Formats: sequence, C-alpha cells, structure tokens
Amino acid sequence: MRVAVAEDGALFRQGLVLLLEAAGHEVVACEAGGDPLVARLSTIPADVALLDIRMPPEPDGGLVTAERLRAAHPDMGLLFLSHYAESHYLMRILEIGTDRIGYRLKEKVGSVEVLSDTLTRIADGEIVIEPELAKRLVERPRSEKRDLVASLSERERDVLKLMAEGRSNNGIASTLFVSAKAVEKHVANIFDKLGLHADTSAHHRRVQAVLTYLRSQRGDT
Amino acid sequence: MTPGRDDARRSADRWRDRQTLERRLHDGPAQRLSALALRLGVLRADAPGRNGDDAWHRGLDVFQSELESALQELREVAGALYPPLLDEAGLGPALRELVTATGAVARVDVADVRCGTAAEGAAYFAVAACLAAADPVATDLATDVATDAATDAATPGGPEIGIRVRVENDDLVLTLTGVDPDRRRSVLDEAAPLGGGAELTGPAEITARFPCA
Repeated sequence: MRVAVAEDGALFRQGLVLLLEAAGHEVVACEAGGDPLVARLSTIPADVALLDIRMPPEPDGGLVTAERLRAAHPDMGLLFLSHYAESHYLMRILEIGTDRIGYRLKEKVGSVEVLSDTLTRIADGEIVIEPELAKRLVERPRSEKRDLVASLSERERDVLKLMAEGRSNNGIASTLFVSAKAVEKHVANIFDKLGLHADTSAHHRRVQAVLTYLRSQRGDT
Repeated sequence: MTPGRDDARRSADRWRDRQTLERRLHDGPAQRLSALALRLGVLRADAPGRNGDDAWHRGLDVFQSELESALQELREVAGALYPPLLDEAGLGPALRELVTATGAVARVDVADVRCGTAAEGAAYFAVAACLAAADPVATDLATDVATDAATDAATPGGPEIGIRVRVENDDLVLTLTGVDPDRRRSVLDEAAPLGGGAELTGPAEITARFPCA
C-alpha cells in the first residue's frame, strides 16, 4: 500500500516508517507537519495518510490537514494516530468523514499485523475506532436498559449495520431497495429505541447509534 | 479570607506549570515509549529463524504489554496534572469527556469562551471532585432493591447533575446543581487560591467564581 505520514515527533515518525516498511508498505511521503504533507500529496498519489492529531498547524493540525486531504482526494484513507483516545476528537473525525477513516492509539499499532489490518480496513472503506474508546463512548448510564440493539426489528438492524459501514441514507435506500423516506423513518426509530434523544445533533446520534452497534457486534454487554 | 493579588498570581503560575509538565510528558517519555512500541514491532517482524521460538515471542509480548501499561499510567498522571483536551479544546469538551469517562449522569452547558489556563484548570478539577463524590461505585455496592431506586433517580427529569459555565465580569462562573452541598468545600479549595469563591445558592446548588487571568 502507498502510505503518507505526518507526525511532528521525530522518534515516533522514524519508528512508524520502519514498521510500515517492515510490513511491506511504500512510504511515499513523510513530513513533520500537516501543511508540507498536503503540499507533497498534491502531486504524489497515496492510499492512506497517517496523521498525528496534535501537530502543526497547532493545536490540532491533524484535523485541519485531514479536512484538506479529504476535500482534495476523497478516495484517500485517513488514519489518526494519537497519544490520547478522546470522544471529542472521534466526533470531530467522524464529521470529516464516516468512511475510509480511523482513529487509534499510537502504541496499539505496534505490530505489522495490526498496522496492516488497520490500513487495509480503512482502504476498504471501513471506520476503525480504538476499541477501548468505542466501548467507553457507548457505555450508557446504568439506568439504561441493556441489550438495546436486540430491541431493534430485523429491518432496523439492517439499516444500522449499513450506517455502521459508513453509508448515507440514500446509499442505504438503494442497497435495501426501499425509498429514502422509509430509511429516514427506520433511522428515527433506531435513534428512539437506542435512547438517543433529539437534544443532540443528527450526526452525533448517527455516530452514537453506529458505536452502539459496533459494540454489540464485539459481544460486549 | 481572600488571598492577596500576589498569592493569586502565584497560584495561576502553578496551573501553567502543571500544563507545561503535561506537555513535557507528551513530547518526552510518552513519545519515546510509543516509538519503542513500533521498534518492537519491527523487531518481531524481522526475527529470522525465530518463528518457532515461543519463549522469545512471549518475551516480546510481555515487553509490548508493559510498554502499553507504562503509557496508560503516563496518561493518567498527565490527566491529573492538566487534561490535554482542556488546553486544546476548552472547558466544554474537557468536561463532556470527563462525564463520559466517569459514567456520571450529568448535563454539561458550557459557554464557548476561553478564560485562561488557571481558571479553566481550577474549574475542571472542582467539577471532577464533585463527580468523584457522586461516583456510581457506591451504587455498585448497593443491593438489588436499592438498584431499582437508583434507576428511577437517574431517569430523565430526575436529580441529574447540572454543570453550567458562563463568563461574567472577567470571572468564570461555575454553577453545579444536584450535588452534595458538602462538596462546596472541595470547590472552594480550587477557587480560593485564585482569588475566587464558592457559595451555596440552593439546596443542592453550588455557585463558584474563578477569576480569569
């Protein structure tokens, strides 16, 4: 795979290049900040860009860089690597895109297998979220009923699964051969059954719904 | 008794020192250890003839898992010094993250303004002290019968914790509702060194003032 790296910590940057090469990937660009990476990638093609969040342009250059890369190269995958796994950043990342995107802790991609698996899933269009973060996010207050996903109808679960794959309402409608209106109704029912109330934005609820689903898939309670 | 202007200034300096220490942990040891985790991955991939050597691979696994634990502990220390999100994104995102992490039933209503490292840090840790006091660990220890009562109490409309932050006349004003009035002391401990204060403004309401730098 052709990968590009932007990371301001020299030691971590070097380690990342070595591991990527050991995994058989081609590092086509390697920069200490977001702006030089965007400049390099205007002429060099890459499959996935690996971005530190806390790097120049400060304070969270990785996010600004990702927005610019996503606008210029919609097919390029984006993997955020950070020392912290915060839901605040996950929400901002999922505002940039809900496909071909990932957010993982720096030390958790420390093997050829995990790194390559993460990159492949992103290049294939998936969302890859640090499991610990996904788990923390969907942990509802103890008063909430467990097994919320089980309360969904079969069709609602199909819709949620496609949401988790990063599809839009229109994309879901064409996959399931139903109208966009029908999908909207299913989505509203899903939000309702999962207890995602209207005081948060539609996007935020969509992300929460997806995370609830991902967590149920992982067999967590 | 309110501290003098010099005391308040020194207290504000200490908050900035704490934030600097967090940054040093991130840029120094945390980066070194994360880089080591990657070098370890290279070593594992590069090991010719080691594929059948279980003891060697088990040794590497231990190494990797210890690196991860060390990084996790560094994150906890850094968070106790000064949460990085507080510096990068402000009090609103940092408090929402705190609520998510603690599993507290709380509503966060924070004005989107910045008021300096010291006031934001002190207000953050004041809220953290109140949420720790309302820790659901207590509920975990309760019997099944008590759990039903706790379930009712936590339903929407019940006594959830309210966290409100506004900036008025160069003060960060924090209003906590649905909290134990005894926590006023913990809130005051954070506010007073900066020249602020904390008062009971209702049966379960604490209002605190943190002067902005």
